[in-house]
Amino acid sequence: MGFSTIIDIMGSMIIGGILLTITLRLNDSATGKTYNNSAELSLQENMATVAQIVETDFRKIGYCADWNKFPDPSKAVVYADETSIKFLTDIDLDTNMDSIRFYLGPTSELLSTPNPRDRILYRVVNTEAPIKSNLGVTQFRLVYFDALGDTLPPPITSPGLITSVEINLTVESVAAYDTAYSSAFWRQIRLVARNLKNR
Amino acid sequence: MTGKSSLLLIMGFAIIFMVKSKNFGDISTRSTDNYVNYYVETVAHDIAISAANIAANQVFIDPTWDDGYSNVAFQGGEYDVQVAILDPYKNIREVTAQGTFHGITKEVKVKFAPSKFSKFAYFSVSEGGTIWWTGNDTVWGPFHTQDYMRAYRHPVYYGKATTKKKLIYYDSKSKDKPYFFGGYEQGVDLPLPTNAVDEMEAIADDDGLKFHGKDTVYLTFDGDSLKYRYKFSDPDSSVYLPSASPNGMIFAKDCIVRMKGTVKGQYTLGCSSIMKPGNGTIYLDDDIVFNQDPRQYPNSNDLLGICAENSVYMTENAANNSSINIHASIYCEKGGFGAENYADRPPSGNINLLGGIIQHTRKAVGTFGGGGIKSGYAKRYLYDERLLVASPPFFPGTGGFEIVSWLEL
Repeated sequence: MGFSTIIDIMGSMIIGGILLTITLRLNDSATGKTYNNSAELSLQENMATVAQIVETDFRKIGYCADWNKFPDPSKAVVYADETSIKFLTDIDLDTNMDSIRFYLGPTSELLSTPNPRDRILYRVVNTEAPIKSNLGVTQFRLVYFDALGDTLPPPITSPGLITSVEINLTVESVAAYDTAYSSAFWRQIRLVARNLKNR
Repeated sequence: MTGKSSLLLIMGFAIIFMVKSKNFGDISTRSTDNYVNYYVETVAHDIAISAANIAANQVFIDPTWDDGYSNVAFQGGEYDVQVAILDPYKNIREVTAQGTFHGITKEVKVKFAPSKFSKFAYFSVSEGGTIWWTGNDTVWGPFHTQDYMRAYRHPVYYGKATTKKKLIYYDSKSKDKPYFFGGYEQGVDLPLPTNAVDEMEAIADDDGLKFHGKDTVYLTFDGDSLKYRYKFSDPDSSVYLPSASPNGMIFAKDCIVRMKGTVKGQYTLGCSSIMKPGNGTIYLDDDIVFNQDPRQYPNSNDLLGICAENSVYMTENAANNSSINIHASIYCEKGGFGAENYADRPPSGNINLLGGIIQHTRKAVGTFGGGGIKSGYAKRYLYDERLLVASPPFFPGTGGFEIVSWLEL
């Protein structure tokens, strides 16, 4: 009787231990999946947000509500390189031209986040303070094309030659469970700002 | 007891799994929603763009079209287009196109303005043979030719360049490709009118100044005044232009015009040909310049259109043998802009043109060899950027519209 009780207890402990281990593993796995899935959702939302901001602004390159004030759209792109661009547009539709600058900050600015690759994508309107938000951008690369569709090699010494832009954007989760960072890539193959081709 | 424990255990795990599954499901759903939302917005935007392009095409085909479209099914969504006349006097129109897809609506607004030939820095129907635009050539404003564009060693075009026929490279694309700062389009058919100069007579009859019944009219712009005579040896008569030509049109019917001087205000000179084939020709006997050069006076309102039914020539004379200054948009309906006796006259300095040249057939202004000018002129053409938004009065129009702004909301 005593021996069988000990066997029962030991058996229960083994089964309990196995169940506990399974439960702990399940919990760990579920936590990891939940964390990473949530991060992936945030990542996708971040990606869509950045893409919409960039697309909306880029499509307005060279636009002015009073076209007589900016008749030569070839002067709309002020500066362009692989990771930054500055262009003129009437962003608030008040008939006065504004400048918008996009550029990517260094990784050293975001040491507070676990992801070592994320950087801040800045958007600067005129001389206002740069608007920054950490959306997990790890790549913001621009490729420029001339009127004949040929790639303009960087550095772009004559921004007036630009008639379309390829935008490459990679966004990663700013933190991840067990450093398994999720990433999403978006590319606008040819963004043509129509005002660059007017007249 | 053991069975009850097992049941509780299984139920507990089942509940945990259900909660987790719901959580995962929610995340997946939101993630998909996010993706679908971006997709729906993109499709709605694309439908709006397509609608704007369809409407723009309709405006180009029929400049009077203002019907718009309503609830047109397109790519699984629908679009609406409204056409508004923003400025009846200037005939500025705006097309508003809305694309709707799955409840999301995106909008595109396109403004159109009548297109004038005066906007061109250079226009030709025929390039007058196999003439190459070279790396030494720079066109500072809009360019169009109905002919081939022939490129040799990277000519530069700062305005939008369009051609009806194709672009031809002297050697290869890499060696000869032009630099287009304002974009390039091929296959654009923009014929020159055949009676635009003749139609100026009615405008001059209405409220302008007209000369007729003479073989030659000598005109000297002198600020507000215009001096004229009909023979070289005659004394000048004079009129006060704001009174003599309130609408800005000066028309010389079926004759030759010889002109020079300083222009104050906005005028277009037309010269037609009816009886004699040599008529409808304008000779520039000396400098013809603005009272206020817009390079020194950015607010200058002075504008001049020189419109010949045939050609415009720089006269071979003493005054023109040491460069000529021309501030005007020059229009040659059947001929071209050239130098009289270009091959036989002495080296004559530069043509310092501020304006544009619109001509049927490209003409020569000099001959070149040994790295310099052998006869005639070297070209120093600068575009008057005011012509992008303004034009001399009643300057010939293309008969159509051009897009002047494009807004995607």
